[in-house]
This record gives sequence, structure tokens and C-alpha cells, in this order.
Amino acid sequence: MKKYIWLCCLATFNFAGCKKILDLQPTDKIQASVIFGDPQGVKIYMANLYFQLPIEDFTYFRQGFNQNGGDPNNGGFLPAMVTDEAMHTEFGDFVGDNDFQWWDQGYKLIRDVNLLIDVIPTLDIDATEKAALTGESSFIKAFAYFALAKRYGGVPLMKTSQVYEGDADALKVPRSTEKETWDYVFELCDLAIQNLGTEKGRRASKWTAYALKSRAALHAASIAKFGNLAPLSGNAVTQKLVGLEASVANAYYKLSMDASQAIMTSGQYSLFRPTPANPTEAAENYRMIFQDPNGASSEAIFIKGFTLPGNNQGHNYDIWFQPAQAANGWPHPGRMNPTLDLVDVYENYTTPGLSSPVVTTVDGNTTDYNGYSAAKNYIRYDNTNDIFKDKDARLWGTTILPGTNWKNTPIIIQAGYVKPDGSAVIRTKDQITIGTETFHTYGAASTSQYSGFDTYGGNNTRTGFSFRKFMNQSGPIVPGWNQSTTDFIEFRYAEILLNYAEAVIESGTGDVTTAAKAMNDIRKRAGHTGDIPLTSANLQRERRVELAFENKRFWDLIRRREYHSQFNNRMMHSLLPLQDLRALPAKKYIFVRVNVPNSNPRTFEPKSYYRYIPGIGSNGLVQNPQY
Amino acid sequence: MKRPFKVSGTLLHYILLLICSFPLLVSAQQRTITGKVVDQASNSPLTGVTVSVNDTTSNIAGTITDNDGNFRITVPSSARQLVFTFVGRNPLTELINARSVINAVMTAADSELTGVIVVGYGTRRKETLTGSVTNISNKEIQTTTHVSLAQKLQGKVAGLQIRQLGGEPGTFDNMINIRGFGTPLYVIDGIVRDGSSEFQRLNPDDIESISFLKDASAAIYGFGSANGVVIVTTKKGNKGRATFNYNGVVGFQTPTDVPRMANAAEWIQMRNDAALYGTGAPFVTDEEIQKYIDGVPGYESTDWYDVALKKNAFQQQHALSASGGSEKTQYYFGFAYVDEGSFLRSNDLNYKRYNLRSNITTELTKNVKAEIFIGGRYDKRTTPGDNFFNIFKGTRVTLPTETPYANNNPMYPAVVTPSNQNPLILSDRDITGYSETVNRNLQTTVALTYSVPFVRGLFLKGVAAYDMNSYQGKDVGKPYKLYTYVNDQYIVSPQRVGTSSISNNYGNSNRLTFQAQADYSTKIAGDHAVSGTFVYEQRQDWSRDAGLRRLYEFYTIDQINAASENNQTNNGSEGQAASQSILGRVNYDYKGKYLLELAFRYMGTYSFPPESRWGFFPIVSAGWRISEEKFLQDLIPAISNLKLRGSYGEVGSFDGTIPFQWIQGFTLGGGGRYEFENGSLTNGASSPGIVNPNLSWVAAKTADIGIDIGLWQNKLTIEFDVYRRDREGLLAYRNLSLPNTFGASLPQENLNSDRTQGYDFTIGHNNRVGKFQYGISANFNYARTQNLYVERGPFTNSYDRWRNGTADRYNDLVWSYTYLGQFQNSEEISSYPIQNGDQANRRELPGDFKYQDVNNDGVIDDKDMLPLFLGANGTNDNQNPAGKNPKINYGLSFNVSYKGFDANILFQGAAMYTVRFNEVYAEVLAFRGNTPAYFYDRWHQTDPLDPKSEWIPGTWPASRFNGDVGSMYKESSVWRKDASYLRLKSAELGYTFNPRLYSGAGIKKIRIYATGFNLLTFADSFVKAFDPERLEGLFNAGFNYPLTKTFNFGVNLNF
Repeated sequence: MKKYIWLCCLATFNFAGCKKILDLQPTDKIQASVIFGDPQGVKIYMANLYFQLPIEDFTYFRQGFNQNGGDPNNGGFLPAMVTDEAMHTEFGDFVGDNDFQWWDQGYKLIRDVNLLIDVIPTLDIDATEKAALTGESSFIKAFAYFALAKRYGGVPLMKTSQVYEGDADALKVPRSTEKETWDYVFELCDLAIQNLGTEKGRRASKWTAYALKSRAALHAASIAKFGNLAPLSGNAVTQKLVGLEASVANAYYKLSMDASQAIMTSGQYSLFRPTPANPTEAAENYRMIFQDPNGASSEAIFIKGFTLPGNNQGHNYDIWFQPAQAANGWPHPGRMNPTLDLVDVYENYTTPGLSSPVVTTVDGNTTDYNGYSAAKNYIRYDNTNDIFKDKDARLWGTTILPGTNWKNTPIIIQAGYVKPDGSAVIRTKDQITIGTETFHTYGAASTSQYSGFDTYGGNNTRTGFSFRKFMNQSGPIVPGWNQSTTDFIEFRYAEILLNYAEAVIESGTGDVTTAAKAMNDIRKRAGHTGDIPLTSANLQRERRVELAFENKRFWDLIRRREYHSQFNNRMMHSLLPLQDLRALPAKKYIFVRVNVPNSNPRTFEPKSYYRYIPGIGSNGLVQNPQY
Repeated sequence: MKRPFKVSGTLLHYILLLICSFPLLVSAQQRTITGKVVDQASNSPLTGVTVSVNDTTSNIAGTITDNDGNFRITVPSSARQLVFTFVGRNPLTELINARSVINAVMTAADSELTGVIVVGYGTRRKETLTGSVTNISNKEIQTTTHVSLAQKLQGKVAGLQIRQLGGEPGTFDNMINIRGFGTPLYVIDGIVRDGSSEFQRLNPDDIESISFLKDASAAIYGFGSANGVVIVTTKKGNKGRATFNYNGVVGFQTPTDVPRMANAAEWIQMRNDAALYGTGAPFVTDEEIQKYIDGVPGYESTDWYDVALKKNAFQQQHALSASGGSEKTQYYFGFAYVDEGSFLRSNDLNYKRYNLRSNITTELTKNVKAEIFIGGRYDKRTTPGDNFFNIFKGTRVTLPTETPYANNNPMYPAVVTPSNQNPLILSDRDITGYSETVNRNLQTTVALTYSVPFVRGLFLKGVAAYDMNSYQGKDVGKPYKLYTYVNDQYIVSPQRVGTSSISNNYGNSNRLTFQAQADYSTKIAGDHAVSGTFVYEQRQDWSRDAGLRRLYEFYTIDQINAASENNQTNNGSEGQAASQSILGRVNYDYKGKYLLELAFRYMGTYSFPPESRWGFFPIVSAGWRISEEKFLQDLIPAISNLKLRGSYGEVGSFDGTIPFQWIQGFTLGGGGRYEFENGSLTNGASSPGIVNPNLSWVAAKTADIGIDIGLWQNKLTIEFDVYRRDREGLLAYRNLSLPNTFGASLPQENLNSDRTQGYDFTIGHNNRVGKFQYGISANFNYARTQNLYVERGPFTNSYDRWRNGTADRYNDLVWSYTYLGQFQNSEEISSYPIQNGDQANRRELPGDFKYQDVNNDGVIDDKDMLPLFLGANGTNDNQNPAGKNPKINYGLSFNVSYKGFDANILFQGAAMYTVRFNEVYAEVLAFRGNTPAYFYDRWHQTDPLDPKSEWIPGTWPASRFNGDVGSMYKESSVWRKDASYLRLKSAELGYTFNPRLYSGAGIKKIRIYATGFNLLTFADSFVKAFDPERLEGLFNAGFNYPLTKTFNFGVNLNF
């Protein structure tokens, strides 16, 4: 039949033109030889692998990673909001089964990196370059399996890339035990450490591989040690697909300890501005680490960059979490509300080594959440942040406290007032004129002039605190999607010190003096002057405070199996600043500790220590307990 | 669809008798001839027929027939012939001889005379047609006035499904669908010229007729034709003096309906309820609420719709055409102008279009005819710097307690809650900027036809067609300022800080088509008619587009070079496509009774691998004209036409196929980007997926059985068709059955299958009683699609299969809870099965919705859902997700004429589908903004501050934010509504002035008319306010432009 076509062509039109008209080439596909024939081509491929790394950065939300494409309107709901660190202004959800999944994407990254590993031996490059590629791909793979292991326990290990030849069943690989999975992570870390160079930069180095191992081994060790606090049952448990024997804990603590120590003794890294003159300076130093990690290169071990505003380039922390007064036309700011529970954890400089709950009444009762009562004897303060005066500098660097300045604007967070007759108007928009002066429940007349408690647009904090850490203080926000370009530190030296100290104290092995110094060095950087002893409680408080909002708390609650005991029908708490008009003409404020308004108690189900495995209908895997 | 009528025997006798009975008139210098001209088909008088003397020596002015078809003309005695000419009729010449009364019977111009209608690559006589083809003429199209051609067709063609997404000027987002198959292929003057949007922008005055190929007869067009084919034939010139035709309409539009939003008093009460039932504290104090209710100064309500939108929008359309020609060369020129305004008070949203057409046919030599058709279009759509969706959303969500201007000072546009969508400001291009889209479209066709001498009936034809579309878009987003007035100060709130931008986009697409065609027809032994058509066709498409964008650091002027070079981006892409085909068709009929047609298309496409890119697709159809059989004619003389016909055909279709799937390669488009050095971005390459070398087209098999009936001289006609289209090899991913640990998804494969089937019919009745002529036509179509095979992973159990299986089911099922009513009191809630999961029924209040515990397990959850509705979930933009369409579409038209008056009325309706809104229209206080007024009729307490106080019932539950409600928004009959409707789609009343009044001025016909569009709608009372015909639109929010009701006044002039 085709013969006739050519005849027709010949009869009517130019023959050569006809013959080729169907032989078109795609305009969007590149051959492998182009990509892997040159280090610059490899770099192009690497960019996509690094992009897929499960780094829990500014684009990590419960829907997963890289939530910064197009219109990433997910409400600004962060992992911190299912821990005790923060509440969302509007949502009250807790850990859902579908949250924080990373399965298909994980195996996609693993396949992509395996394809590179396959091709390394065939590349026409010298041995050092090959070793570097081997190290880099091992690091990426280790990172991916760590992210899988901490979510799912033991998983199928795809040590080489699979080839599909039409038989889907042939591709099925059963789950390895959780121990095998962790061991594979460490094996890959070691391969990376052996092959990677020491040059610091934004691609993997020996130091990033050590840092990964430090974190991963601490996680595994904690599961081994604390797993019995939340025993699970079922097939996955009996087949050891989830859970680790307590007996392996110390070996894993040792792996973590050694990896941390390699970094600590390398001389490559140190804390950023370790000796501040005073707490005010300490607060600013601390904040600056996160506002521009590139200025803290001695502390930042691995930075993920956000380059240009735009899809899949910038992020949305500044628009989601800016206090309402600094919204600059953006309609949905103020979503991050740090909890009173977190604020309570910070030490007072006057009582080092102790969490210092915010005291609001003369009787010192900090567990009364029944709300305002004219009968209670509240402590009166001259302004809305006096009450935090002696608190750790990191509180000031992490949160915007009522009445503190942000971008040269006093951020007004007020929940109401107590009328001269002792009755209070709280969280209702109202005003009262006494003498010549008019007072407003929210501290100012207009919605654009305050940042707290009014439910008007869902933009005002309901805990009494707004968010500061990571936020760019220089200049107004750009009210559009993906406009923030603050870089994110995935591994920083302070975490390594804390990992080291934890491994020492939890295992009861290692150099306690070095470990205690590691913890106290961090505290001194925050303006503390004396040392406190290295205890498990002191160290965990230090972790919460130092690493707040770095997406570590969620995993600390998981690995130490504290989630279900910490969240057992638990309400989160707010601090309501009220102007006390009984004190007029003096301007005085009182504070009321309450349950977060319009929120529900939260209970963590032990099954949530592991995510469910998706797609068991076709991958044939054993499901995690209780799913 | 004019049906050929046989000239009645009695009429002929009558005319002959008349002619014979008059005495002969001779030897006068001049003489007067009178007579009457009637239409052959309907026997009705023809008004406006030019009657003249065919005499080259004397130049005598002709005359024109009056409203009763009568004429009177004085002619020189030497005159030998009278010539009758009329638009759309064959010219008629009568020898005068000695007659003084000459009555004439005029026949419809060729195409209508024999009922010749355009089919694929040729024409067929209606009576020998074996496929299911509906033809609609210009006249029938023009009875409805609308800017979009699609809207002029809705309700008029059985099986043609049309639905509007919205009425926004210049968007042309009508869904056009034949028989429920999907987007059809468009053919204009014999060349495939894709795009429903292009089709809708044709100048309707240029169109001679449109054919809809609804069954396998469409398959001859190959790829794309599995969904049916729409063939547009434009007007060609007729021999004779130039005639001009002007058609102009002006009119205004109003929305069919728009739901009212709550006023300030209603809103503040609902908002206060929401605060109380949510946080436990009132939103504002009772005194404040009372002030809103009383509307005291400072507490007035703002109607944002009224602030930004006006009641009427203006539109006008003008078309002028000229046609005529000599023996050898005929021409048709058409020009049209369309101007459609919008409801925006700013007038910054509008659409303008200019169409130009030049169709020239000429005889180059004795046997060679050339045709040159050129169609050009320029159109421009302008919108303000924010889109209509956001502007309209601003009229919905912005609180009625806010005002357009701070301190009511027009110098200071106000900050408004909740999202600063101040609709008055957003719709003003001087403030927010603008967006302009310009398209320049050119369609050219050159055809040479050679009638081969010595071989009677053989024609050779070569066609070359080149089409080009050039697109230019410009978007300017200006920064602007909003203000809040506090403490006697205007506090500025800058908008679009850092995101103010300008962009220019360019696109250019080209299409080149060549056809070589041979046609042969002959009769063998008198009774065997044989004809054949063979065609070679190739088509090439190529396109390139590019865009430039810069951000403003400081806005100066709307020029790209005036914006900052610091933030500039650009992009571009190129594409190409090609196909080749040969196709053929052989027709045979015996004595016009037994009809057989065999056809095929053998075609290749660039998009598949060379080994498998060619395919052969056969088509067969047959018919039996029973009414031609003697026995039937004797048995039932009332039957004037009876034909049985059937067709079957196969065709390949693309249906979402991505080209070049067989080529493995890395892509830069799909890779993530990473910053390896601070400030420098590397674009990542994504790894190749698995390739599928076997990917091929979807095979569509269409079958149709039909019957055509004409009774009593075709006064009553019926056409009925049942049809089925099966598609095999629909693309699906084998994802679900590949372990998700593999790390890559499988490519598309030809896995799934589906079936669309239904029936359609048309019933027509035409009659004339005295001077009163009327016609009624009804059409109906029912179509539904079911999935046959659906690729998916194994079911885990039989419940999973029942609940989640989609194979062998209709594609339009929506699972829903069974709504039982509202809780009447808290005791009922506490004793009711838990319907809100972990939250138990803690959040339910009296007045909340309760659902049935279908499986009686004491818990109302996903397991209690049943497939209760026809429809589909999912948001959509322009495209209907499968299942959303009405299953039934119908139309009913009436036309009457009496003397100079004519009237057309068209009812149109649809049934068997549902709509379900999200966001503002279906969520109380969505976005914490304003809420529809209907939610005010709600359950509330006599004293909201006292939880024990008495409940006052209402239609809706107590007002709360969506985070504070229980199961209020579960899918149920509360929210998903039957959208069936019947509407008076169009009505037209026209009057043609008696030509005698103005014939001296050289004018042949003056007709004035008034038309209305979307005049009345009958539908569910809740749905009616949203217009049931309209799709829910983006986010299912219902914020697309309202459909419009239009009133027009127009004039037709022929001269």
C-alpha cells in the first residue's frame, strides 16, 4: 500500500519532500551520551537528584517535599504544627495517615541514582572523578533510604537498578528487616565517606556524609533503645520488618558518636559567633544563622539553596508566617503560631538548667488553664513582653513576642482587656472609651494594625506568639507565591554536637566531658554563662530549644517513642495578653494561660510511629502494624 | 434541512389550465404581464423575486414580487423571455410567447433542489445517503443571534451537544460534542481546520451550510474523526448581477441569573454565630450587630456586585456581503464586525472581531475550474489586569461591611477583607493593568478541478491549503495602592510589590495540506449507478512560540523595555506534526433503491514508530429505500419516503497520546533545579522513563442503524438513529499493577476500552394553511458512556471491587451519602450513629444534616456511600471531565410566517446530570468572606449566648466556619443538584416590508427583526440562580462569567 502513496506523491508533488514528512524528531529529548559524556552534563543530572533529596526544608509540608511549584496553596500547614512547637491559625488537624508519606518519590530517586551508578564504570573519566561520583551517588542513596527507614521501618532494598521486561511480578522485592535497612544506610554512608573529598561546598563531601551518618545512627539507636515504650504487634513486627532489638542500641550510638566526632575533630567547623556579649546580641546572632546561612559558613555543613523567586526556586515561609501587620498586601499571613508549651521550655537566665513556664499570677500556678477570672491575682506588667524578660535569647530569636519589634514595627498581640469593673472582653472585637481615650480589645482600631487573636481573616495568632526564625527581616515581603530565597541549612554543626552528646548520655559510653562541653558550648552561644550537667533531660530540652522549627522535633518524638505519651488527649496552650484597665491611668497588662482557642485535644496513635506502606495490592509487601 | 418535494400533479394541471385558458395577446407596443411566483417545494408564494426581461437591446427595469408573490411588469412587445431570479433559487427563464399571465414555480438552488449535502470529500444526494448526517442551512443557523457560532446551533441538531462554560466575551469556551463522543473534527471547505474555538469565530453570514457527520461516515477523515466531523461549507458566488446583503444587529445582554450575597446585617449575624459556635466568644457585641441591622451611618451595607458590575452589556454585529459573477467567474465577498462588551462598569473587558472572506470560482479553460478561497480574521480580547474570576470572586467574598474607597474618598481605593479583592479596583485597567490577546488567522485554499474530456464523469482535483495563525498576548500587571482610613489618616497598603510585571507572548502556527483527488461516476445499463472517489492527502503542522517577561522595580510605562532587566525571563517552544493518507470510497446503487457504500482510509502519522505508524481503516454502509418499492407505494400511499440504513466503520484516534513515546531520552523539562553555587541555578535533567515501542492509536468502531420516514408528501418527517461507538486501546498507565518500589512509571499503553451509545431522532412537520406557513421540529439525543475494561491493580476484596471498581460501569456515577434531613434537637444528635469519625457527633448542632447508616453498622462513614448521582467530581476548566455532560439534550423549534411576518421560537433543554459547587456557593462563610444570602435562612438560637436557648429552624444549618462543622459538606443531595433544565433559547420575530415600497430604490428586500436569547429557564430553584447550563468552572467555584440573556434588534437588507 505504501508504494501507492509514493506514486501519489510523485504524481502530485515533490517526491523527496513527501517521503520524509513523517520522520520528525522530538524537540525535548536528549540522548544519554550527551548527558554523561561530560562532567557538566553529569552536573545537570545531579541537579535533578539533589532536587529530589528528602530534605525537610522550607518546601516540606505534610503533602511532601518541594511544595513550591505553581500555586502551592496548602494553607501553610507545617510538620511543626503536629508537634508541640506550634499551632496553625485555623487548622487543628493532627497526624493523618496520609501525611508525610514519601514512598513512590523515594523509589523514584533511588531508581534515578541507580541509573547513574550503573553508568559510572562506563564513563570516560579518570579514577578520582569516578570515585567522587560513586561517593556522591552513595550519599544520595543513603539519604533516600534513611528517609524511607524512618518512615516505614524495613523496606525493599533496591541495591541495583531493575529492568522491566514485561513481567511486573519479577520486579517484586520483599521488605528487608528494619535492621538490614539501617545497616544498608550506614554501609552507603561509609561508601560515601570513603570516596568523597573534603572540599566544602553545596555538593556532598566527606563531612556531609558523616553528618548524615551521625543523624541516621542516632535515630536507629533511639528506636532500639526506646522501641519498647510503644510496643506494636502484627506480621511486620514478628518478621522484624519494624523495630530493632534493644541490644543493638549501643552499637548504633557508637556509629553516631564516631561520625559526629569525625566532624568535631576535623577542625573544619565551629559554632557561629560562639561568645556573645549579652543575650540581645545572642538572640540576633542566632537569628542571623537562619536568615542567611551563607554568612554562617563555619556552622553550616550542608545548605540547600533557594535561588530566584519563582516556581520550584523560591519558597513561601515569609508570606505564610509573616505577622499580620507585616503582610504587605498578602492576604494569608500569620499561619505559624508558636505554642505557650514551647515558650515554657526555654530557660530563664536566672534559673539555668530548668524549663521556666511563664508565670502569670502571684500564686505562681502555671497549670491553670481555666481562663480569666476577676478573682485571680494576676501579675501586672508595664508592657506585653516584660513577662519574657529573662528568657533564653533563642526564644527572642525564634518567636515574635507580643509588643516586640519586627521590621521596625511594634507587633501588637493583644487578646482583650479587663474593664474597670473587672469584667473582661476577650477575643471579641470591642472598644471602650474611658475619659478621652478609646481602648480596643486587639490593641488597635484597625485589622491592619495588630497581629493577634482577631479571627477576622484567619491571619492573627491565636497562641499569643508569632514566628521569627528563618524569616527575612530585611525589607517587606513580596506578596506572591515562591518569592522567598532564604537558604536552608540541612546539617549544621550545633546538631552534630547535640547528636554526639545524646549518643554519649544515652549509651552511657564515650567521653562525657567532651559531650557536656558540646552541649554547654551551644548554651553559651545563646548567652548562658555557666555550665549545666549533661543529663538526658537537659540535653533534650537543649535540642528542643536550639533546633526548634528545623523539622527535628517531629522525628525526636518518633525515634524516642515519646509521641504517644506526650500527646495523650493533650491540649496545646496560648498566652492571652490583656490590658488591665483597672490600673488606669497606669498602662498595665496581665496575662492569662488558656487552652488554644477553638482547638481539640490531640492523641497520637502508636501505629503512627510508622507510616502505612502504599500500594500493597500490587507490590505485595507486608503492611505496617494497625493499618 | 430542506426536503425535496415532488411537484404536485394537481398543481401542474392547474397551471397548465390557467395558461391555456387565457387569450393570446399580440401586436401591442408594450404590454403588461402579471403572475405569481411560488416555491416549488412548499407551494408558498415567494416575496422579493426579481422579474426582468432578458433583452439585450432594451434596458427595462425589472420588478419584484410582493408579499403574496404577485408581480406586474410592463414589457416591450419585442420581449421574448422573462427571467426570474431570487437568492437561493435557481434562475428561471420563461418564454413569454403571447401570454399576459405567467405564473412561475421556482426551485431551490442546486444544493437544495436535489437535497445535495456535503459529506467527506464530496457530496451526496440526501435520498441516497447511507450514513447519519445532519445538514443545517444558513437560514436555520441565523434564527439565533449570538457571537459564538456554537450558540447559534444549540438545540437545532439532533445529537449535537453544546454546553457553555461561561459567557465571557471572547473566550468561546463552549463545549461542542457530537453524540457524547468528545470534541469533533472540524472541516472548513474540505480542509481539516481544527479547533472548536476557530469554528465558533467564523462569520455565520459566510456559511452556506454545516454538515454533521455523526456516524462511521465521519471515519473517512481519519485521526480525530472518531468523535464525529463538522463540515462547514462557505458561500460561493452565483452567476448574475451583483447582489449585496447587509445584516446588522445591536443588542444588550443581562446575566441570566446571579445569586445574591448577604448584606451587612445578614452577614454580621451569621459571622457572629460562627464565632460563638466556633471559638465560644462572640465576634462583636450585640450593640454592634444592631447598628448593622439598623444601617446607622458607618454601618451601611455594600453590594459589591452592584459596585463593580452593571445591569447590561452592549453588543453589535454587522455583516456585509457581495456576490455575483459572469458565466465564467463567480465571487462571494463577506465582511463582518463583532463588538461584544461586558458587565464590568469599567468597560475594560471586551471583544472585537473582524472577518473577511473572498471566495472566487473561475473557469480557466474549458475543462479546468479554479477555486480560490481566502478567509481572514482579526480578533482582540481585552481584559483588565486581573481576570474575571478574581473580579467576580471579589464581588462574592468581599465583606458587605467594607467599602470600595477608604473613608468613601474616591482618591483612596480601600483595603478589603478577606483577600483584598476589591472588585471595583481589580476591574479597572488604569489601576491594575490589562491583558490583550490578538489573533490573526488566515485560511487559504486553492483548488484546480479538471473534468477529463472524453471520459464522462471523471474529474481530477488538486487542492493546496495553507493556514496560518499568529497570536500575540500582552499582559501588564501594574502595582497599585490600597488604603485604610484610621485615626484620620490614610494608611497605604501597596499591592503587587515585587510582582508587578509585563509580558509579551508570541505564537505562530502553520498548517499545510495537499490533496489529490479523482472522482468518477457512471451508470451501467441504466439501473446501476457507480461512483468512486480516491484521494491522497498529506498534512504538515508546525508552530513556534515565545514569551518575554520582566518585573517592574518601579512602574513607569507599559513597555517591556521600561521594566527591570534584573528580573527578566523568557521561554519558547517549537512543535511539528505530519500525516499522510490515501483514502477511497465506492458507491453503488441499483435503481436508487439499494444503496451500498464502501470506503477506507490508510494513513500514517509522525507520532508512532516507523514500523507501526500506518493503519488501514474500513467503512461500510448500506441503505434500502423501501418507499421506492412498488409494493409499498401501492400499499401505503401516505408514505412518501421510507429508508432503512446502517453503517459501520473503524478509525484510529489519538485521544491523549503523547508523541514520540518510543524514543528514549533524558528531558530537561521534567527535571528539578538545584543551586550548586549560591546564586546560580542548574536545570536538572530527568531520567528517561520506560518507553513503549508498541504504543499505537486508539481504535474506535462506530455503528449506526437509522430509519428515515416521510409521510403525506413529507409534511411529516422522522429520522431516528441508534448508535454505538466502542473504543479499544484507550491509553492508561500500568502503574497500579507495577510495584511502586520500581521507581518509574510505565509509559502509556493501549489498555482500556469504553463504549458510548445512545439514540437520537428528529421529527419535523411543515405545512401551509392559506397564507399561514409553519414548521415544527423536535430533536432529541440520549447518550451515555460506560467503561468496559479499566486497567488497575487487583482488588483486595469484593467490597473494594464494588466500591472502587469502574469497569463495566457508566463513567458518570457519583458516590454519595443518603441525606435524611436535619437534626431537630440535641437529643436526636446524641442518640444518632456517629457520622463524623473521631470527632463523633460532637460538632453537630440542631439543624445539621443527617445521613443514613446504609449498612446499619452504627457508624456513618465511607462504607455508607452509594452511587446515587449522575455526574462527575473534579474541577475543570474548559474541558468537561467525562461524566459531567447531560445525558439528554433536546430542542424544539417552531417557525411560522404569515404575509410579511416571520417568527422562530427555539426551546432547548438538557437532562440527566448534576452540578456541585465548592467554595463560596456551597460553604457557609468560605474564605471567612461574605456568603450567599440564602444561607441566612439558617438554624439559630433565640439567645446565641445561651446554649440552652431555643432553636429556630431554617433551611440551612447554623452558621459556622468549615473547620467547626461536622459532616455538613459530605456529598449528598443537599449539595449535588439535578441540573436538568428547559429554556427558551431563542425567539425571533421578523417583518419583511413589501418590496413595492422600496424596489425603485434598488433594494430587493428589507427585513427587520427582534431576537431574544436565553429568555426563560425552567430548572431546580437552587440551580437556576447559577444557570444550569453553565459548568461549575475553575475550582467548581461557579465564578466564571455569567451566561447571558440577550435582546437584539436587527435589519437585513438585500440590494
